[in-house]
Amino acid sequence: MALFIHYLSLPYLWLGVGFTLEVTALGLVGGLAIGLLLAGMQLGRIPALAALARGYTVVFRGTPLILQLVFAYDALPHIGLTLTPVAAAALALSANEAPFIAEILRAGVIGVDAGQILAGQALGMTPRVLMRRVIAPQAIRAIVPALGNETISALKNSSLASVIAVPELTLRSTQLASSTFDFFSIFFASGVIYLLLTGGISLLQLLFEAALDLDRRAGSGRIAVWRKKPSATAAPAASVSPVAVESQSEKMPFHVVAGTVREERHAKATGEDIVVEIIKLHKRYGDQIVLDHVDLKVHRGEVVALLGPSGSGKSTLLRCINHLEEWDAGIIRVGGRQLGYGVDGRKLSPRDIARERASIGVGMVFQQFHLFAHLTARQNIAGPLQWVHGLPAAEADQRAMTLLHRVGLGHRADALPRHLSGGQQQRVAIARALAPNPSVLLLDEPTSALDPELVEEVLEVIRLLAEQDGLTMIIATHQLRFARDVADRIVFLADGVVKEDGPTHEVLTRPRDPLTVRFLRVMGAQQAMEMPG
Amino acid sequence: MHVAARVKRMMWPLPIIFLTALSLFAMIAIMPVHAEDTALAGSAGCQALQAKYPMLKGKTLVNALTPHTPGYEALDPQDPSRYIGFDIDLAEALGSCLGFKLTYKPVAFAALLPTLQSGQADLVISDIYATSERAKAADFITYSKVFDGVLVAKGNPKHITGINTSLCGNIAAENTGFVEVPLVQNLAPECKAVGKPEPSLQLYDNNADCIQAILAGRADTYINDVNTVDQAVKAYPDKLSKAVAVTLPYSIGIAVPKNKPELRAAIMAALIEVQKAGVETSLLKKWSLDAGSIEEPRLVTQ
Repeated sequence: MALFIHYLSLPYLWLGVGFTLEVTALGLVGGLAIGLLLAGMQLGRIPALAALARGYTVVFRGTPLILQLVFAYDALPHIGLTLTPVAAAALALSANEAPFIAEILRAGVIGVDAGQILAGQALGMTPRVLMRRVIAPQAIRAIVPALGNETISALKNSSLASVIAVPELTLRSTQLASSTFDFFSIFFASGVIYLLLTGGISLLQLLFEAALDLDRRAGSGRIAVWRKKPSATAAPAASVSPVAVESQSEKMPFHVVAGTVREERHAKATGEDIVVEIIKLHKRYGDQIVLDHVDLKVHRGEVVALLGPSGSGKSTLLRCINHLEEWDAGIIRVGGRQLGYGVDGRKLSPRDIARERASIGVGMVFQQFHLFAHLTARQNIAGPLQWVHGLPAAEADQRAMTLLHRVGLGHRADALPRHLSGGQQQRVAIARALAPNPSVLLLDEPTSALDPELVEEVLEVIRLLAEQDGLTMIIATHQLRFARDVADRIVFLADGVVKEDGPTHEVLTRPRDPLTVRFLRVMGAQQAMEMPG
Repeated sequence: MHVAARVKRMMWPLPIIFLTALSLFAMIAIMPVHAEDTALAGSAGCQALQAKYPMLKGKTLVNALTPHTPGYEALDPQDPSRYIGFDIDLAEALGSCLGFKLTYKPVAFAALLPTLQSGQADLVISDIYATSERAKAADFITYSKVFDGVLVAKGNPKHITGINTSLCGNIAAENTGFVEVPLVQNLAPECKAVGKPEPSLQLYDNNADCIQAILAGRADTYINDVNTVDQAVKAYPDKLSKAVAVTLPYSIGIAVPKNKPELRAAIMAALIEVQKAGVETSLLKKWSLDAGSIEEPRLVTQ
């Protein structure tokens, strides 16, 4: 025991800890740098770079670290690169850690819900903004435990640097044991020192996890103080009419737009300029034709309901209008601008497509909401305004609060999506899509993922947008009653073909195509059972 | 609280006093050698060599070593920040004769010659035997004969009598790259001839691991330099013993790179001076090594 204490407090061993930490830190920093590069190459769009990164991973993950250390130390001098022991160890450890760290980073990025990426793209985020604001913050939370593991593994691996004369803890312990023959007291002492070091890393990991814990951050309310955000109680701007959905517990009134009003609006809308124009849009996945020469015109202020069985191409059509999908032939114009081609007629890069989306102004609401899980309701709305449209933080925040009040969620501004009900999430998603003042709002089955009792609050918001704002909307839905209540026009799509296109009342009461007739009968019967009365 | 603090303050200097006393003691212990070194540096022979090889004067050379062999090279248990042993003193003596200083780079035994070849070290003085195989990687200047000891568990339960058929069916612990490895392996046909299983080998990285293998009962013997064996027996008199000493047809040598003939010539000449001045003999005595093992410098190259 006395010997153990003697060696545990021996400065000679603790000086070795300095080298152990130095090699570990350098190896991790280098590994992170190379790992970022490797992960980027593998996630990127250039196959040659991805293959190169794969090759590197195969070699450096597939050979023992000890060989890499000896190579860096004893082979590199033959090509004129003589490194000090610490530098050689740092190089070898970096090269060895890199593929492992790259895989952790890749797993983190891949693990981010694809819907969040889709939503970010739909909001006009460039790949870079998307990575920085949506993917990275969520990926980092997911990879902290794995990185903690990797750090501990790197620290222990640094002991292998003893073979290339780095005077670190293990080398000092073995030499000391050889000269004193006190094997066990020395190795116990160095084992305890290693445990202290790895224990410290575990502690750091826990602190990181706690610091990144969304629930703590959102729940404490401290973040508002840190970031000096305007208060949650900012009054809605006078120009915006508050919606009647102030309290979620209150049952919302069900407004029915009288048929005549709608017909009038439809007549008026067709006189206005065309917002969306689709000419002979054709798209196929392999052999399957998804959209078969679809033509569609939507006028300003018009609300179009896209009806059709699942797989009929409704979602694909909406995604094409927002250029989230490529198509094979045909033209899409939004606000008179043709999508997908630059002024020089060349195809756009993903970054330019993002800018196009942002400038043309197509908002999109998804079936699964796709709110950014790491951001509060308010940040979900204000963030894209800052990052995509360059609004100052205060202004973006004010607009977010205004919109949240409009959808009746001013009191939930600082809640995380996971603490909101499905209906509330969808209302936030609608507010987020509305924030940049889109010229057209696309809604892809906005209520299909909601529990029946939550459907109404979302429909109510959409209805008010149609009535009060005269917002141009294309809504893919199978809610016949909702289509009847809110849409000016119904477009019935089956097997990628527009089977029927006409004023709501006409299509619902006097369908011409046999497929439409059957669809309306089946859906009508189902929904009559779901919603009696 | 105050008392505790005072006690602490009083206790802190104790290790320092202890260390200072130790280093003073160590300095006194090695003083004679230093005196010899000074005398050596001033000798006419060494003066002439310094004039002949001026490129070494004032330089710091790197000596790669495997510091796991107490007596030859190991950490100073009293001051682990430095290495001590016969090889260290010999290297310093060569340094004073030629006017260079030394730093030491600890590597695994099998890495000694690769370290030299890659230029990470200038020479290797580390109880390494100058075999013709190794002479393909580096040139050797010999300075001592090789006497091996056969380390066994106390009482030699397996009745091992050397590198012969007594090893058949037994387990020998050796370090990777040791000359004893092929010698043990070559016993296989002999063992077969007498109808016994061949000996098996456990390869380790340093003496400590080999000695542990015998202490733990994993290996039956460890055959290495007799001094190493003696040191191990001294450390574990109740558990280990030396079965026998054997002479191997090798010499211990200083390894120098093949592409530096001038350094090789300088070391060779300086070693002759060191031996002539009686320094090597007194160093053998100082480290309780067999004075009869001294050998006239000879170049082993391929």
